[in-house]
Amino acid sequence: MKQTVKKLTSRAESYVFVIILVLSAVIQLRSGLFYSNNNIVDIVRSMIVPLIYALCAYLAFVSTGPDVSFPLIAALSSYLATEIALKTGYDGPVILVFIIAVFFGLLMGAVNGLIIVKFNFPSLIVTLATSSMYSGILFGVFEASRMDLPENMYNYGKASLLSVKNATTGLGSTLPTTFLIVVGLYIAAYLVLNHTMAGRGVFALGGDEVSAQRAGFNTKLIRFGVFTVNGGLAAIAGVCYTVMSLKYLPAEFAGGEMVVIAAVILGGTRMSGGFGTLTGCVLGTMLLTMVTNSLILVGIPVYFQKVFIGAFIVIGTALSASSGRKRKSAGKGVAANV
Amino acid sequence: MSSKTATGKKAGFFSRIDPNVSRLLVVFFIIFLFGSIAKTGSFLSMGNFQTIGKQLSEYGLMALGVGICMISGGIDLSTVYIANLCGISAALFMQKYATDAPAGTQMMVMTGAVLLALAIGAVCGAFNGLLVARFNIPAMLVTLGTYQLYMGIAIVISKGSTVSGIPKSFTIFGTGMLFGIIPYSFLVFLLTVVALSFLMRHTTLGTRIYLVGTNAKSAKFAGINNNIVLIKTYMISGLVSALAGLLSLSRLNSAKADFGSSYTMQCILIVVLGGVNPNGGSGNISGIAIGVVILQTLSSLLNMFPNISNYYRDFIWGAALIIILIANNLINARHTRKLSS
Repeated sequence: MKQTVKKLTSRAESYVFVIILVLSAVIQLRSGLFYSNNNIVDIVRSMIVPLIYALCAYLAFVSTGPDVSFPLIAALSSYLATEIALKTGYDGPVILVFIIAVFFGLLMGAVNGLIIVKFNFPSLIVTLATSSMYSGILFGVFEASRMDLPENMYNYGKASLLSVKNATTGLGSTLPTTFLIVVGLYIAAYLVLNHTMAGRGVFALGGDEVSAQRAGFNTKLIRFGVFTVNGGLAAIAGVCYTVMSLKYLPAEFAGGEMVVIAAVILGGTRMSGGFGTLTGCVLGTMLLTMVTNSLILVGIPVYFQKVFIGAFIVIGTALSASSGRKRKSAGKGVAANV
Repeated sequence: MSSKTATGKKAGFFSRIDPNVSRLLVVFFIIFLFGSIAKTGSFLSMGNFQTIGKQLSEYGLMALGVGICMISGGIDLSTVYIANLCGISAALFMQKYATDAPAGTQMMVMTGAVLLALAIGAVCGAFNGLLVARFNIPAMLVTLGTYQLYMGIAIVISKGSTVSGIPKSFTIFGTGMLFGIIPYSFLVFLLTVVALSFLMRHTTLGTRIYLVGTNAKSAKFAGINNNIVLIKTYMISGLVSALAGLLSLSRLNSAKADFGSSYTMQCILIVVLGGVNPNGGSGNISGIAIGVVILQTLSSLLNMFPNISNYYRDFIWGAALIIILIANNLINARHTRKLSS
């Protein structure tokens, strides 16, 4: 029991969880609208795409370093999939649209992975460069603009798992079916990271590359795999975003990476690699989604949003960096707890 | 022809300067030659060079800031937003005190606004440096957070709108030219390049920045106070960003919290193009300065081909960055092989 308490207090996730509780209580007290059914569903709904992005950022940090290309991979691959569906007049199940998008996403991710692995360049610089290239392809070559979705995608976006209506305010909210995709991805990520050799390798690689190599992991293949998978995940996020907005919006993707990275780091994922949990990803994303969604409920003007997000990142990272140092000096090894 | 004599004259000088800088000069001359042949009339005009000079100074300054941070082993992603915050603060200050003031006081108010902007830039930079040095947070993450913070503060003080209405005389810095030939803003850039070159080459601080970037641990054991060096490094970056913000304020006659967000990527591109090692420790100011000139010349040249969409530029920058990284990597590998054999 004592050990569990100690373990919980030493982890970033617990702090984030406490902050979430306090913040939600404050919002509830001031507005009475936080713990209402439609607000909860709204927050879950806004978390869907960031949660998938968070997986990309998480995998990249744990194994190598930052990946900032996922919003543009999402934009370009979902554009290609939507465009192909439109041009061919495809009207079957949406799953094929996802598969097409994932194919392109994997391809773009593989480009990232190849350059990073082959030359050992910093992943930040490489992914910055490739996302600039993908943006050039999207807006320059394809001249992407807003477009309507084919009927099957539109209907998929409209379909809801759950629909609630607030009795007092009359505001309604629906949970789209894309929520199931997120749940599926997180379960898959959990199983792969914790119960397969490749998943162990991701942590080993981030913890200490040389040791991982000596232990027999093919570090280059794992790193390449992580960035390729990231491309596929980003593509799924892109299609989810597109169907949820019921329109393809090319300009809305770029710039989403910073908040996601912040969320993942707040959740306790270590920038230097080898450590981080999926629970942390979810909690970090939840906290920042709450900040963006709910500050307005307390009467804080929208233009204060960035200040809050920035402050959260700075304070959160300062805390987790100093606790990380303490852990290191205590001589504890890195572990992959979820 | 002109390029040939220029390289010929510099032959003796060439052997002394950094091989990367000479490579960059060659690249520059190739682009220059191509531009002169393909678009003789419009490229080889005084107006074109003046535009190039004017346009490069803002992000050129920010690139210098990013550059010295990268030499110290970090990075600064917040330069653009420090610049915007400084621009907005200066604009608001002038708006408040200078609009109805007589000419004499107006001058004083303008000086005050410039000093205020520089001070804010220095404080923002020092704050970055403090977080990087004292709390040991990776620089990328610090500046990722503070960029949101500074942008947020800028949005709050400007209430999310564009700030304009500054005194006419202030706009001279951004639009005017010395002797009607050299744009003032380019002059500011040039002076900063000279000052920073001197700082990095001939002062203790410069040497220490290189040492900390090469190996922070050995620098520490050599008795260097890494924290102070890093705080100063980021402070300089904040200061030059403030200069950039002032220049863009005077050129556009307005300032906005999210102006120029694409400059961040461009600055990193320039710095890596200029030969700074992303892991820190090597690179020099002159390389970055030539990188700035190359990028803007290429950009202006691309503008002269109306059938090339502006969006292709993103693609070209990204591809150029990767190609240069790979080229530098291959050249370095060959160099190491030569040394070891």
